[in-house]
Amino acid sequence: MSFKSAVITFPGSNCDRDALCYLKDLTKGEVHNIWHEETSLPKVDLVILPGGFSFGDYLRSGAMASKSKIIDEVVKHANDNRYLLGICNGFQILTEIGLLEGALIRNKKLKFLGKNCFIKKKFKNNFNLSIKDNQILQIPVAHNEGNFYCDTETLNILKNNEQIAFEYCKGEFSNTEENINGSIEAIAGITNKKKNVLGMMPHPERAYSDFHQSQDGRLIIESLIS
Amino acid sequence: MNEELILQHGLTLDEFQVIRKYLNRDLSIEELGIFSAMWNEHCCYKTSKKWLKKLPTDNEIVIQGPGENAGVIDLQDNDGIAFKIESHNHPSYIEPFNGSATGVGGILRDIFTMGARPIATLDSIRFGLIETEKTKYLLNGVVHGIGHYGNCIGIPNIGGECEFESTYDFNNLVNAMAMGHVQKDKIFYSKPKSIGGLIVYIGSKTGKDGIHGASMASDVFSEEDEDEKRPSVQVGDPFMEKLLMEGCLELMSSGLIESMQDMGAAGITSSSVEMASKGNVGVYINLDKVPLRQPLSAYEILLSESQERMLAVIDKKNNHKVREILQKWQIDYEVIGEITDTKRVVFESNNKIVVDLPVEIIVDDAPEYDREFYIPRKRKNKDFDFSKIKLEDMIINLLTNLNYLDKSWVFDQYDSTVMGDTIREPGQSSGIVKIHGTQKVIGASTDCNPLYIRINPYEGMKYTVAESYRNLIACNINPLAITNNLNFASPLDPNIMGELVLSIHGLKTAAIKFNTPIVSGNVSLYNQTNEIPIKPTPVIGMVGSNMDLNKINTNKFCEIGNKILILGKQLTKNCSPYLLQDQKIAFNISEFNDLEVLNLDFEKKIANCVLELSDLKCIMSCNDISRGGIFSALLKMQYKDMGFRVKVPDPIDLFCEYSAGYVIEIRSKDFEEVTSFLTKKGAEYLEIGEIIKEGIEINSKKFDYFDIMNKYRNDFEKIIS
Repeated sequence: MSFKSAVITFPGSNCDRDALCYLKDLTKGEVHNIWHEETSLPKVDLVILPGGFSFGDYLRSGAMASKSKIIDEVVKHANDNRYLLGICNGFQILTEIGLLEGALIRNKKLKFLGKNCFIKKKFKNNFNLSIKDNQILQIPVAHNEGNFYCDTETLNILKNNEQIAFEYCKGEFSNTEENINGSIEAIAGITNKKKNVLGMMPHPERAYSDFHQSQDGRLIIESLIS
Repeated sequence: MNEELILQHGLTLDEFQVIRKYLNRDLSIEELGIFSAMWNEHCCYKTSKKWLKKLPTDNEIVIQGPGENAGVIDLQDNDGIAFKIESHNHPSYIEPFNGSATGVGGILRDIFTMGARPIATLDSIRFGLIETEKTKYLLNGVVHGIGHYGNCIGIPNIGGECEFESTYDFNNLVNAMAMGHVQKDKIFYSKPKSIGGLIVYIGSKTGKDGIHGASMASDVFSEEDEDEKRPSVQVGDPFMEKLLMEGCLELMSSGLIESMQDMGAAGITSSSVEMASKGNVGVYINLDKVPLRQPLSAYEILLSESQERMLAVIDKKNNHKVREILQKWQIDYEVIGEITDTKRVVFESNNKIVVDLPVEIIVDDAPEYDREFYIPRKRKNKDFDFSKIKLEDMIINLLTNLNYLDKSWVFDQYDSTVMGDTIREPGQSSGIVKIHGTQKVIGASTDCNPLYIRINPYEGMKYTVAESYRNLIACNINPLAITNNLNFASPLDPNIMGELVLSIHGLKTAAIKFNTPIVSGNVSLYNQTNEIPIKPTPVIGMVGSNMDLNKINTNKFCEIGNKILILGKQLTKNCSPYLLQDQKIAFNISEFNDLEVLNLDFEKKIANCVLELSDLKCIMSCNDISRGGIFSALLKMQYKDMGFRVKVPDPIDLFCEYSAGYVIEIRSKDFEEVTSFLTKKGAEYLEIGEIIKEGIEINSKKFDYFDIMNKYRNDFEKIIS
């Protein structure tokens, strides 16, 4: 059975086209683009909330998008135990909706960070099945508010339930720091308790094609399809 | 009208008399405002026009040359590339964050006004010495502003340059370039198609920001001006621009729009006058219909430079459909006037005609000056003593000079991979992006060589064009066309005017030889503060292509054991200006020897060798040699755990500049093939060494690889913070 997916576009989303290409090229299945004012969502296996600056990041990154009309449907989709992936601004939106714990605050150095970063998987889930333990992935980040923060109690819950999907690490020859944006425990991506919702700051949709600097971003879709 | 008022509007009394005589009546204050906006350097190029006309602007691939919002070149099939560079120097000095942000916003609007989707930006930025108190503030603000705007709207920033030099202490330069992809059969022009078409206003509401921005940009500064002029700097909202861009592109692809013009410098005045002039028609606009952010007078509405606004002409029957699309994007939309057959520009406000002028007097009769200029005197030859300089000191000199250090601190604040088509990110010899959905790539590089141009404006400009050319060639990109941004000090000084005239001639010579016409551009004069003129800084942005993305060269070392070859010809030590300056041998501009004449045929010959060898897949990596010589080029090529071992007759040779200079990396097994190919072509080469693991060795002397690479990569941030 073919894999169906959808990408939600908010005003100010700027990685929606990238996410659509990522899904089309890797899933070979049906891919829908859904405008934020829609009130229904087709039955799909995966929904992506893409990166960008939804509503100009006004108020707080992701805050206004989390009140969009389509969000009720997105929540229903997640409650049906189907996959939901928030990338960058999408991750911020997921924490604002409350589907994921914690918050993304400004990067430690208070500057936008657009560069290659290195991550590895922490705990196993369906989004990272095809990734080996200790395998280092090279995937670009591009964010101003990517510094994951939560209180100690929440952090313990995330650890005990094995909800931490990815953490930042050092690349083999790279000059990068181990924890590029100051996130608690270098967290780069987390899931919900049921592990069908993933939020991550790095952009796998910018690292999958032959001409990209890395193809490691493929592994996430390959994990879901396998 | 009193003289003071006229002068305050940046017009000379002579210019005013021309207008007065033509109209044979007094002007309204609004009309004076219009002439102030349209007759300044920024809008009518009154000083540079005579010389700009001499530039080559056409060849078989040019679809649109200068005169529209951006130039467009043909990239085969139905693909075209629109591109342009524009300055935002003065606003970025007064308010670096908003000044640079709106510079990016303005150039992006120029691109999508043509119906092109922006696909990349580059920036050429120049600051004073880092020791100057204000430089850190300006650098931080400008980089933050460029990043803020480009990142939010989601256009990758793929390169540019960032340099520091004392003449920019009180007059930093911010030149932003953008490129867009357009379907050749869907290019939009500013010329309206029919009489009776509705003039519609699309985008942000009009406010007080930026009033008189264009005439400010044509003014000399003193430091006290800074606070007073701050309200003239526009404030940008990239989110609004993103909506505006998507809305406009949707309107254009649905065929609902006849023509479009962005409200940039001189706002609604300039865009409506241009429209009338291009179409040889008239315009009538009711200013009461303009969406306002705050109560404004007719005069203020005419001159406001509020950002994120467009003026379009539509057929009456499409009014409803246009409104519907723009509502989806939550963009203000208002019908404010119509195209008439009067060939006059008429503005109404409060039931009164406040402006009624023939288009002819505003555009065709705009002043054009033939200013006096001096040709620089011939330089006397001078010999320098190189005997005392030590290799270790030379390396330290480079690694403590911001101009040589890795500028990741700058580029990391920009999103360079959004849109998913980036092939080469900033920091390499040229930025490269793929044309979405094709195998074609376009590459671009911005360059200027201000020291060379001060020494010899004509030759210096040839070197500048050649540098961009080499940047593209090194990546196996075929150079195609140029956009230019001529930044100079006051042209009222005949010496400065001489630099302007001669460098345009240099640009012409090189552009003809390389068959890279100038298709768009911008002029920024009066770049001087407290009577310190900037060095002549005519920046060029060169664009090129390769139809097969698999043929692109990398600038980074590939494999340990590979050989390093040098192509091109070394400039003699005495005529290698950056060697002399940055190794602290020559200090004043008068101490430098004249430049060697740059042989453009030789440049082409070597470039063709690089292109052919690249297509034969014999080049593993390649970088051009510029400021800082071979040594600097090698540092830029360093990758992973790779370093280099080289042998040269004299270590100083490693730091000299080159004509047609390239460092190429080749496999040992290809050595025979490559060298016999070069010999056959009559291209001299020098085998200088090889790639080694974690080491830097020069003439058998070992240097601390980790220390040098660490300084090269990390010291920029240390020095500027």
